[in-house]
Amino acid sequence: MELNGGSVVAMIGKDCVAIASDLRLGNQSVGVASNFEKVFPVNDKLYYGIPGLASDVYTLREHLRFRVNMYRMKEEREITPKTFTHLVSSTLYEKRFGPFFVEPVVAGIPSPTPLDPHPRPFISTMDTIGCITTPKDFAVAGTAADKLYGVAEGLWEPDLEPEDLFETISQTLLNAVDRDALSGWGVVVHLITADKVVTRTLRARMD
Amino acid sequence: MALYAQPPTSYSVPTTAPIEHRFNPYSDNGGTILAIAGKDFSVIAGDTRQSEGYSIQTRYARKVWQLTDKVVLATNGFAADGNNFVKRVKQRLEWYEHAHHKPMGLKSIARMIQTILYGKRFFPYYVYNILGGIEEDGSGAVYSFDPVGSYEREACRAAGAAQSLIQPFLDNQVYFKNQQPAPGSAPFVPGNLPLSTILSLVVDSFTSATERHIEVGDGMEIYVVMNRGRNTDDLLGPGILAESMHVEELGALGEGGGEKTFLVTSPLKRD
Amino acid sequence: MECSFGITGKDYVLIAADTSAGRSIVRMKSDENKIKTLGPHLAMAYGGEPGDTNNFAEYIERNLRLYHIRNHFPLLPPSASAWIRRTLAESIRSRKPYAVNLLLGGYDTTTDLPHLYWIDYLGTKAIVPYAAHGMGVYVSLSTMDKWWYEGMDKREGIEVLKKCVDEVEKRLTVALKFNCILIDKNGIHKIDLSEQDPIAKVEASPEETAVEAPNPPIEVGA
Repeated sequence: MELNGGSVVAMIGKDCVAIASDLRLGNQSVGVASNFEKVFPVNDKLYYGIPGLASDVYTLREHLRFRVNMYRMKEEREITPKTFTHLVSSTLYEKRFGPFFVEPVVAGIPSPTPLDPHPRPFISTMDTIGCITTPKDFAVAGTAADKLYGVAEGLWEPDLEPEDLFETISQTLLNAVDRDALSGWGVVVHLITADKVVTRTLRARMD
Repeated sequence: MALYAQPPTSYSVPTTAPIEHRFNPYSDNGGTILAIAGKDFSVIAGDTRQSEGYSIQTRYARKVWQLTDKVVLATNGFAADGNNFVKRVKQRLEWYEHAHHKPMGLKSIARMIQTILYGKRFFPYYVYNILGGIEEDGSGAVYSFDPVGSYEREACRAAGAAQSLIQPFLDNQVYFKNQQPAPGSAPFVPGNLPLSTILSLVVDSFTSATERHIEVGDGMEIYVVMNRGRNTDDLLGPGILAESMHVEELGALGEGGGEKTFLVTSPLKRD
Repeated sequence: MECSFGITGKDYVLIAADTSAGRSIVRMKSDENKIKTLGPHLAMAYGGEPGDTNNFAEYIERNLRLYHIRNHFPLLPPSASAWIRRTLAESIRSRKPYAVNLLLGGYDTTTDLPHLYWIDYLGTKAIVPYAAHGMGVYVSLSTMDKWWYEGMDKREGIEVLKKCVDEVEKRLTVALKFNCILIDKNGIHKIDLSEQDPIAKVEASPEETAVEAPNPPIEVGA
C-alpha cells in the first residue's frame, strides 16, 4: 500500500453516489506518474476504485473486466452493485494466503426491478482478503484513509443532492490528500445518478 | 495415541537464551487536542479520555490548563510527562511573576516552552503542546510545538491521536484550503472566524474524531480566552450553546487585566 | 548505479541507458548494451538483477518475434506493454521472480503516436510522457519536469536528454556512458549523444543510423 500510494473515497447522496480517486503513482517517495486513475467503470451505473499496490490494481482490474464480461454474456444483463461486490470479495478471498494488496471500494445505483422498484444507492468496501462492509454514508480506502475519515465525518450529511454531493466528495478528497505525502497529484471524481455519470478532473495541488 | 506419544520438542528443550528486559520510560495515552485563533479571542480544546492500549484509564483526565489570565496550554501524548511539564511551566511562571511583578506574556511563554522542551533534547518530554491565548496586541493566537521544542504561531492546529482526522478538516474550514471565494466577494482571511463558527468547528471536530477514533471520547473541555473589553454575548447569549453543554467563567488568576477565560464542557460518546 | 531515461516527443520516443555492467563498486564492462529492440518500432531499456535482465529481455524479444511471425504484424506498443507487464506480474508471485525494471518505448504506426511505459519488477505499469529508472530518477526527473513540454521536436528532445545525462555526470559519483536510440515512424535509429547534432545524421542517412530490428517483416506468399 505504502509502495505506490493512492486513495479512494465513495459517498452516498440522495438518489446518487459519487466515487473519487487521486491520480498519483509513486515509487515510495518518488512520484512516477500523475495520470494513474484508480476508479474504473463496470457499467454506466456502477464504478469501483482500487487503491493499493499498483501491480495488483492493474491485475485485478483486468481480471474483473474479464469476469464482468463473462457475466454479461452468460446472464444477458448487467451485474448489480451487490453482486459485483461479492464477485470482488470472492476474487480476493481466493488469494487468502497470498493476497492482492488492494482495498476496493464499490459505488453504484442498482437498476429498478419488479421486486425492488425503488432501489437505494449502494456503496461497499473490502479489506485485502475480501471482507465486505456496506456503509450507509461513505467509504474510504488508501494511504489517506484516516484523513478521509476525519474530513468526510465532518463534511458529509444525509440526502445530499448530486451537485452538493460532488462538492462534498471533492473537498473531502482534496483536503485529505493534501495532508498525505503518498496521495494527490490530481484528483478525478465520478458522480453517478440514475440517468448519467459526470466525470470531472479537478485542479489540485501538485506537490 | 501416537499423537501424544512424544511431547513437542519445544517442551523438552529448555530455552537457554537470556531474555532481555528493558524498561520503556514512555507510553502513549491517546486523546486529542486542538486550538483555533480568532481575531480577539482564542479557543483551546481537548477531550478528557485517557487510555493505554485498548484500556481506558479514566474518562476524565485534564489535558488543557489555564496558565495565566490570557494563556491556556493543551498537552497531549504521554500523560505523566504532560502533567510534569505543565507543573514545570507553572513553576517558572510563578518565579517570573515574583521577579517581575507581572504575568509572563503569551509569546514569552511560547519561547520559554521551547527552551524547556529543548533542554530535554536527549530524553524528551513525549508531549505535543498547543498554546493558545491573547497576544500583547490583543489578538488571538495559537502556538504549536513538537516534543523537542520546534514551534510556530498559527491560526489553528490539531494534535494527538486524531490529528490526522482533524487537521485536514481544519485546513479546509479555517485556512479555506481548496476553496475559492465567490466571484466579487472578499478574499478569505484565516484567523478571523466568528466565535460561534469556531465553536461549532471544535464540536464537530471532536464528535467526528470520537466517531472514528477509539482513543477519543468521553468528554471535552473547551477553553475560550477573550481579550479585555470583548463582548461575551456570542458565548453566553441565549441559544448559542447546545443543551448538553455547560459554560462557566473562570476567575482571574492574578490581579486581572480584564481578559476573561471561559470553560465550556460537553459530553462526548463513551463507547 | 544503473540508470535509464525515456522521453516522448511529437512523433518519436527517445530511450537512453547507461552501458556499465558490474557488481557493487567493480565495473566489469563499460560497453554493455542494455537497450533491446523488440520490433520495427518497439524497444526497451532494461535493468535490475544481472542475469535476470538478459534472460528476461531475450524471453520478451523471442515471444514478440513469435507473435510477429504468427500474425505477420508486430504487437503494437499498448498491447506489448500489457503483455510484458503481465509477464512480470505473474513472475513476482512465482517461486523465482524476475527482478527486472524496464522502460518500454514504441511508435504506433497505426495512429502515429509515440508511447512510453514505465514498468517495474512488480508489474507496475505507468503510461508516461517521460520517465527514468535506477539512480537517475533522483537527478533527472526534476530536469525533465523543468524542460519537457508537450509536442517537442526531435532536436529539443535530444537537448532535454543531454541535460539529463549532464545532470547524472554532475551529481552521481560514477562516470557513465550512455546508449541512446530514437524511435519514429521510420523505425529505430542509433543516436550518438556526443555529437553536436545527432539528428542531422539520422536525417542525412537513415539507413546508416538504423538499428537492425530483430524482427524484420517476413514476406509470405506472393
